[in-house]
Amino acid sequence: MKTVVENLLRAHDGPMTSELVLRPAEFGLGRVPGRLQPASTAKSVCGFCSTGCSLLVHLDESGQAINLTPDPDHPVNLGMACPKGWEALTPLVAHDRATTPLLRNAKGQLEPVSWERAIAEFCSRMKGVQARHGAASVAALSTGQITTEEMALLGALAKFGMGIADLDSNTRQCMATSHVAYKQSFGFDAPPFTYADFEESDLLVFVGANPCIAHPIMWQRVMRNRRNPSTVVIDPRRTETAMAATLHVPVCPGGDLALLYGIAHLLVSRGWIDRDFIAAHTTGFDEFETFLRDFTPARVVADTGVSESTLEQLATLIGTRERVSLWWTMGVNQSHQATRTAQAIINLALMTGQIGRPGTGANSITGQCNAMGSRLFGNATSLIGGHDFANPDHRAHVASVLGLDEKRIPTAASRAYDQILGRIATGGVRALWIVATNTAHSWISHCGFAELRRKLDFLVVQDMYATTETARMADLVLPAAGWGEKEGTFINSERRLGVIRKVSRAPGEALSDFAIFKLIAEGWGCGGMFRQWRDPAAAFAIMRALSAGRPFDIGGIRDYDHIEAEGGIQWPFTSADALVSKFGVRSSEIGQTSDTAQTPNSDLRSPATHERRLFADGRFFTPDGRARFVFDPPSPLPEGANRDYPFVLITGRGSSAQWHTGSRTAKSAVLQKLAPNSAWIEIHPADAGPAGIANGDRVRVSSRRGTTEAAAQLTPSVQRGQVFIPMHFPEVNRLTFPAFDPHSRQPAYKACAVRLERLSQE
Amino acid sequence: MVAPNDPPPLVDLIGNLLAEQGRLQTPAARAGVAFDQIENRKSKIENFRSLIPLTAPAPGEQYAFEVNLDKCTGCKACVVACHSLNGLDETESWRDVGLITGFQQDGAAYQQTITTACHHCADPGCMNGCPVLAYEKDPLTGIVRHLDDQCIGCQYCILKCPYDVPKYNKRLGIVRKCDMCHQRLGAGEAPACVQACPTHAIRIVSVSSSPASQLQSSNSNLRTPTSDFLAAAPDGAITLPTTRYVSEREIPTSAAAADAGIARVQPGHTPLAVLLTLSQLALGAQAAALFVTYYVTNTSSFPWGAVALGMLGAALAASVAHLGRPLRAWRVFLGLRRSWLSREAVVFGGWFGALAAAVFTQLPAIEIAAFAIGSVGVFCSAMIYIDTGRRGWSAASVSARFAGTVMLAAGLAVSPIAGLAAAALKLAIDRIALARGPWETRALESGALRFAFRMRSLLGGTGLLLLAAAALGETGAWPVGAAFIVAGELAERILFFRAIDGSKMPGAGAS
Repeated sequence: MKTVVENLLRAHDGPMTSELVLRPAEFGLGRVPGRLQPASTAKSVCGFCSTGCSLLVHLDESGQAINLTPDPDHPVNLGMACPKGWEALTPLVAHDRATTPLLRNAKGQLEPVSWERAIAEFCSRMKGVQARHGAASVAALSTGQITTEEMALLGALAKFGMGIADLDSNTRQCMATSHVAYKQSFGFDAPPFTYADFEESDLLVFVGANPCIAHPIMWQRVMRNRRNPSTVVIDPRRTETAMAATLHVPVCPGGDLALLYGIAHLLVSRGWIDRDFIAAHTTGFDEFETFLRDFTPARVVADTGVSESTLEQLATLIGTRERVSLWWTMGVNQSHQATRTAQAIINLALMTGQIGRPGTGANSITGQCNAMGSRLFGNATSLIGGHDFANPDHRAHVASVLGLDEKRIPTAASRAYDQILGRIATGGVRALWIVATNTAHSWISHCGFAELRRKLDFLVVQDMYATTETARMADLVLPAAGWGEKEGTFINSERRLGVIRKVSRAPGEALSDFAIFKLIAEGWGCGGMFRQWRDPAAAFAIMRALSAGRPFDIGGIRDYDHIEAEGGIQWPFTSADALVSKFGVRSSEIGQTSDTAQTPNSDLRSPATHERRLFADGRFFTPDGRARFVFDPPSPLPEGANRDYPFVLITGRGSSAQWHTGSRTAKSAVLQKLAPNSAWIEIHPADAGPAGIANGDRVRVSSRRGTTEAAAQLTPSVQRGQVFIPMHFPEVNRLTFPAFDPHSRQPAYKACAVRLERLSQE
Repeated sequence: MVAPNDPPPLVDLIGNLLAEQGRLQTPAARAGVAFDQIENRKSKIENFRSLIPLTAPAPGEQYAFEVNLDKCTGCKACVVACHSLNGLDETESWRDVGLITGFQQDGAAYQQTITTACHHCADPGCMNGCPVLAYEKDPLTGIVRHLDDQCIGCQYCILKCPYDVPKYNKRLGIVRKCDMCHQRLGAGEAPACVQACPTHAIRIVSVSSSPASQLQSSNSNLRTPTSDFLAAAPDGAITLPTTRYVSEREIPTSAAAADAGIARVQPGHTPLAVLLTLSQLALGAQAAALFVTYYVTNTSSFPWGAVALGMLGAALAASVAHLGRPLRAWRVFLGLRRSWLSREAVVFGGWFGALAAAVFTQLPAIEIAAFAIGSVGVFCSAMIYIDTGRRGWSAASVSARFAGTVMLAAGLAVSPIAGLAAAALKLAIDRIALARGPWETRALESGALRFAFRMRSLLGGTGLLLLAAAALGETGAWPVGAAFIVAGELAERILFFRAIDGSKMPGAGAS
């Protein structure tokens, strides 16, 4: 009786309480919400950034994903994920998924049509444009966000099947610089590192990188370093990573190249260089040494805004620590002298012999989940499979593997993204096919894209969403299945192949990009050329064959299950490596093994196959096996601040919960909670005060190209005279200045000149 | 039969590809994978053993979150993991990450992200304020738990918590909050946020639960003159939060929340504004009735008592409409010992009975008793808000406004001149009380509350003019003027809720 009264007065249980009851799950998951009990799990590598975290997707009885947790048993993320990974399933159920093909009708509206009609329309109009204006009048822009198999099929279909000469992708906006820099310096686009290097360095130098926000799981690896390392961040902004570092070097925008040469100058003058390594494994150092003479501390201090003592401190750290690793990402890649800046970093590693050993390297952190897949198999800049269009042997090899007529293979690389858009402006390109990227938002100084659109006879956008800025401009929208709705592989920053699995049904009639390419091949009439590309697994076998004898030879990888069982496999992984791995023998070919790396739950795995780096033997991929010192004098910012536009605008990642143009991350209510949902601008308090701008005020931001509004965020993390706007809002690229690195043709998003006005708050 | 090398017709291919797209691998096919993972179950849980206490708290101790700020670098995985691992609603998470910025001693910029959830206070404001005892502090672990099936959705705990922890869930009509994943802790598993932090910045520790030691044991680097608890966070003295923020770096005294100074307009709670306004007007009307009956002895006067009864009835109806779960409201007496809200509800109930009796019996003793009970009720109303400790709801500010409304009703009922005087005085009080600080002034004059504030001024001003006309002999203007004044009071009371600086942990910044 007493308990009845007690329960009546105080309801400790009931339907609402039950909603939150947790129950122990199988599969090592611990307790999970009662209504989300999985019937099984599947592993899938995350489809946002290049870290390559493995996610354990919880499935119901029908195999449909209902929740996910980070994979505790994966050597990359060790059971952790950033917010995007945790929320990876949410964008799949967004209400604005494209569920049928959409064709612009006579009234100018996009209306649903059948796949049959869509493919017929695609082929007849593309062919019509080609017939009227020549084969080169059709171009394509692809992505770093689809699987390698899909990239390979798209590249082969577009170039060998459809005769499209110009195919580029949004990896031009993120990784083109690293690609070119590595290729020129090392002879191949080969990031040398493994994530264990984060844990094994004595000094980590981050240049234009903010891993705390952009790659939190890589920062996790830094925090696991037990060698009490020093960390240096070279960045105009005092970012989260700069705060966490032992030394922040607040270089002025565009000053990084001079700074890196200044460090090299000091290393030479102090004798902190590895002459033996230089002599044995590099060429061009003498010229470089001569070149460096001009980069005296006095000049570098004047050019970079960095104090002489900081410069000294930095050079001393690099010159005296046993294991030094240098890491860069978009702060370097998206600048007007990006390639030479990346190579200035590479030069530091080469001249100090800091490469090929644990905890060393000149290491490019990748942006997109599959930028490396695009670099190797996209068939844009490099012939499919990391080959060279200009090399007849390569063309012959590719033709024989793919079973096609060698004459179908172009002898030159594609034009770059900016050149393709430039050809639209001049009428050279009349039809454009955009796959899984949002050009109308992300392209630098994009005000002009709407204008370009009007010049196109036919614009096709293939995307998960019909609502991206670009899809809304299309004549034809092809509804694509996304991550989680298809199978295939990604390649992460450390060259690790990972598998994604189909764990969710695509909405409506959305099809995987792979299937869409197959349909187009049939519709185009070249289906016969791609019969052997039956499914992603078959495409993977083709990729494996293409890789034979190349630096990224993956001949030892059996299939997807092999990759998954190994926790991902880093390239190269030759048949010989496969034997080594099987019998537990260390490979002398590949690199020294990690001596302190300890990943939980991987006791049975040999570090020789799980944490591998390149160049342990000092042999690079150049014909003579030597790395090159590549350098050029620095040039000033293409658009510096002046009296009319007194601020330098820096753009970049806003928060870990945001990705690119937000076409996926903006679909998650929880991710939307983690950052403001409209554009903000970070301003130094001492700049805001005189302008009458208070925290939270609306501000008008103008550059010579456009104007936008943003909410003021007063913070000293930007320097005086500099402001920062995140890249995730379409506003920002109305402002940016279309400068390009001359070698990589990568846009320089990181600096342009703007002015600010406080808007009336009414 | 089509030969294998013939191209399949496009229609067939479309059908095949769509069918293939819809096929998922079934669990049976994954049995092998699942088996592997069962093998690893133990190790995953053990990964976090160092981050949670291995034993129950000793007597005099409780569990608390410990956050190492030097390791918190703003990835916010904790927020999303809380959402996912607890199966919360679409926008719901019980953890937040804010930001503070400032300048270090050497002039360099300082910024620090702050992850925060329920502080499982030693003296929880939510629990003390709850009228139905829907909160309990676990005697063993000290975890402050919310009883979801007990909650009536009055949201007073939201006002009582200085850290903005309890969150209202519209779907359920109740609030929900962090329970430190007590179900996981009970089974030796780490809470969701602890499991999800890539840098292990969040741990569960046992701390002393005695109020005296509560703040002294927190890290001295993090205290500032304005907060014993954490720089740029609300003072810990109100509820004795147990979360330990630790850092080897000193937080500079200049550090401020990234969203400092940005107007955060709070919910208007219209039913509560109606409750407060009408109950106070009712008390004023009752005072007028007593005054007219016993001092003026004008026996044929307007039935102010009945008007008061009607207003009070409407006020009580509005109060029920405010609740997310009104059917559970019968338990509202449970909190009498601690909650001013409970007291107000009970006293208002008694007042309604007494007032009804007074109206029907017209007995002076009952009339006086009813007025006395009503006065106590309005006092309880004032204490509800004063007890939150919010800036802007000081004893003086709340009392002056509530007493002003009572006085206003009495004045309006007695004569146009009395009404005019009372209304002018009340407008002056409101102006002083509302525009207390810089952001409120900005919000009221040029920001988000501009329209509401102008409405309030316009209604009140028109009322004043009409009352002045009535005082000059235009008697028809009296009731119209009174109506404008009453409408102005409602508008003021909505601003009473909206223009309050919502006390909270540092937020993430502008948008």
